[in-house]
Amino acid sequence: MTIRVATMGLTVVVGMLLVIQGGCSKKSIQSGGDAQSSDRGMAKSGGPAPSAMGSMGSTGSTGSTGGGGFDAPSATFPDLSLSSKPQDEPESGGLRGFDSVSGGKAPSEERLGGGGTMLAKVEPSESTARQIEDIRREQAKEQAASAEAGLRDVFFGYDSWTITEEGRQSLTQDAQWIKGNAGSLVKIEGHCDERGTLAYNLVLGEKRAKAVRNYLVELGVGANRLAVVSYGKERPFCNERNESCYQQNRRGHVVVRSK
Amino acid sequence: MNRIIIGLMLALCVVVGAGLLGILDSRATDVFLEATRPDFQKIPIGVFGFQNGGGPEWLGGRIEEVLKADLQRSLVFSLVDLPGIGVKAREVSTADKAIFKQAAENGVSVLVWGKSGPRNGSADSELSMDGFVYDSGSDEVVGGKRYVGSTSVVRLMAHRFADELVFRYTGEPGIARTKIVYVAEHGNARELFVMDYDGYEPKQITADGFLNLMPRWSPDRRFIVFTAYRSRNTQDIDILELATGKRWTLVSMAGLNITPALSPDGNFLAFASSQDGNSEIYKLDTRTKASHRLTVNQGGDLSPTWSPTGREMAFTSDRGGAPQVFIMSADGSNVRRLTYEGDYNAAPAWSPRGNWVAYVCRTSQRLYKLCIVSPDGQKRVQVTTGPGIDDSPSWSPDGRHLTFSSTVDGKSHIYMVDTDGKNLERITFGGTHNSSPSWSPAL
Repeated sequence: MTIRVATMGLTVVVGMLLVIQGGCSKKSIQSGGDAQSSDRGMAKSGGPAPSAMGSMGSTGSTGSTGGGGFDAPSATFPDLSLSSKPQDEPESGGLRGFDSVSGGKAPSEERLGGGGTMLAKVEPSESTARQIEDIRREQAKEQAASAEAGLRDVFFGYDSWTITEEGRQSLTQDAQWIKGNAGSLVKIEGHCDERGTLAYNLVLGEKRAKAVRNYLVELGVGANRLAVVSYGKERPFCNERNESCYQQNRRGHVVVRSK
Repeated sequence: MNRIIIGLMLALCVVVGAGLLGILDSRATDVFLEATRPDFQKIPIGVFGFQNGGGPEWLGGRIEEVLKADLQRSLVFSLVDLPGIGVKAREVSTADKAIFKQAAENGVSVLVWGKSGPRNGSADSELSMDGFVYDSGSDEVVGGKRYVGSTSVVRLMAHRFADELVFRYTGEPGIARTKIVYVAEHGNARELFVMDYDGYEPKQITADGFLNLMPRWSPDRRFIVFTAYRSRNTQDIDILELATGKRWTLVSMAGLNITPALSPDGNFLAFASSQDGNSEIYKLDTRTKASHRLTVNQGGDLSPTWSPTGREMAFTSDRGGAPQVFIMSADGSNVRRLTYEGDYNAAPAWSPRGNWVAYVCRTSQRLYKLCIVSPDGQKRVQVTTGPGIDDSPSWSPDGRHLTFSSTVDGKSHIYMVDTDGKNLERITFGGTHNSSPSWSPAL
């Protein structure tokens, strides 16, 4: 008896605490630090910028349905605050509980549709197909131009973004070609092997690409002719699971950029 | 006797007082009470067949199979092998009290069965499923559900029934109707897909032809934020509305724009950008569009993940040379290191209950596995073991499972595992590369 009373009491208290905690977690944050200018250093520098100069939050683009084009500018974001969400019995996640079936009564019908999260169909639109074709053509063009120029790549050690002696020799050649071809633009892609996390490898890839860029600048190449991009481990040159493939993928890939 | 009661009441007051103090102190870390005790006794449940009344041949079996898998994964129930305890009936009706009694006497608390077939027995394309529940505690058939819909929602019928059962016995909405957004190789590109939490019904949601990476859900499940490579050479952070396919660019700065994460109230986007030189964490107010840099140092800072209250973030930083997990307040103050074991800890994900941060830990054998650590750093557990590179852990909304990518079977695929490392389950089988899963919030 005593134990049962105590257990019930404890259950109620724990329940209360959970309710209070839950209440706290839904409270919105009022942070004083967010009223700063949104313009600080937001303009795109270098890089083959798309049509609009990117300033945070002001170059939104309403994509067409189907994940297609990006180019129509729009100044608005969707309303993401939870208060804008239609409140669909949040406690039970839309569940209605069981119906009584005493006396052989049938439960009432519940019609099921899209499964809670409605998904728009991605129809590869004409603009998407064109975009994919553009990407393919541009890549082929870059590859051909880089092969013709004889540009050399730089390879890195595990977890490392330090340029080796061999890498310096390659970049000395690359720098000669770039300086000798006025008006040419070069892109340095940072790549990583498959080990480690996707996210950190993007940062590591950028460190590698920037190390290459900085060395080329040291050799006298104008920084404005060099763009960097990191692909992390997302665009590997090979897919085998051994050191010689890993070595191929830890790379600063130097490419003549198509204009 | 009375003295015992008074003593217990006093003890309760102390507990309440301490609890309230903890809550009122806004600086306290986000450690919640465990809603499920570690010694939680699973509820023994028995599932009879779902009698097929003239529907497609697979119908009853499919419902039973999906329901059983859901109940097992809920970790609320333990499935009882009914024939194994001598209950031989396959199909039952509400009137079969003797069979229920026999199962109850053999330790089964809840019994479930049903029937399925064309709606109203007619030959139209609509199907219906009836499910019934017997509870040994009350020795009664406590209720039933009837779902109707097309053949495409048969799995959903079973998922919904499973969630109703979880809700009835725990007050939580269950995870059987949750979804996972992930990246899959598609042609030469990586595109976003959304699938059911058990790996079925994958649907493509982007078709850009290059790289779309690191998708995350909005707290209301209506949107996905992710990194999109625009023109192959710059990365933006985009947001996509699932119901319409409409898309907006939230962040478009020079350099990396990666690892976006919306705050629990949807008002802020935390992300990493290298526009100021090296990768730093920023916070964008989605209402005013003002942005604010949170980290300032020479190392790379990335992968912010919000605590469930929105008061803190965990993130990866290599400010000490190698990547480690740190915690800071949501305004960037009060930074402290969380992980100390090993020289590579990254990709943190704060659990929805607040009591763990999952992350990728590199072991002494240089394997990339999943670990969890309490936000005060006191408890640390390695969750996965063995070969394969594990990456991108993401919590189920009930806090009992993690989904992640692993190369344990060769190519990268999506898996789920309980937080104690049990019930490792592969959930993608097709394709050449599936990665970066993010588990949706509960409905």
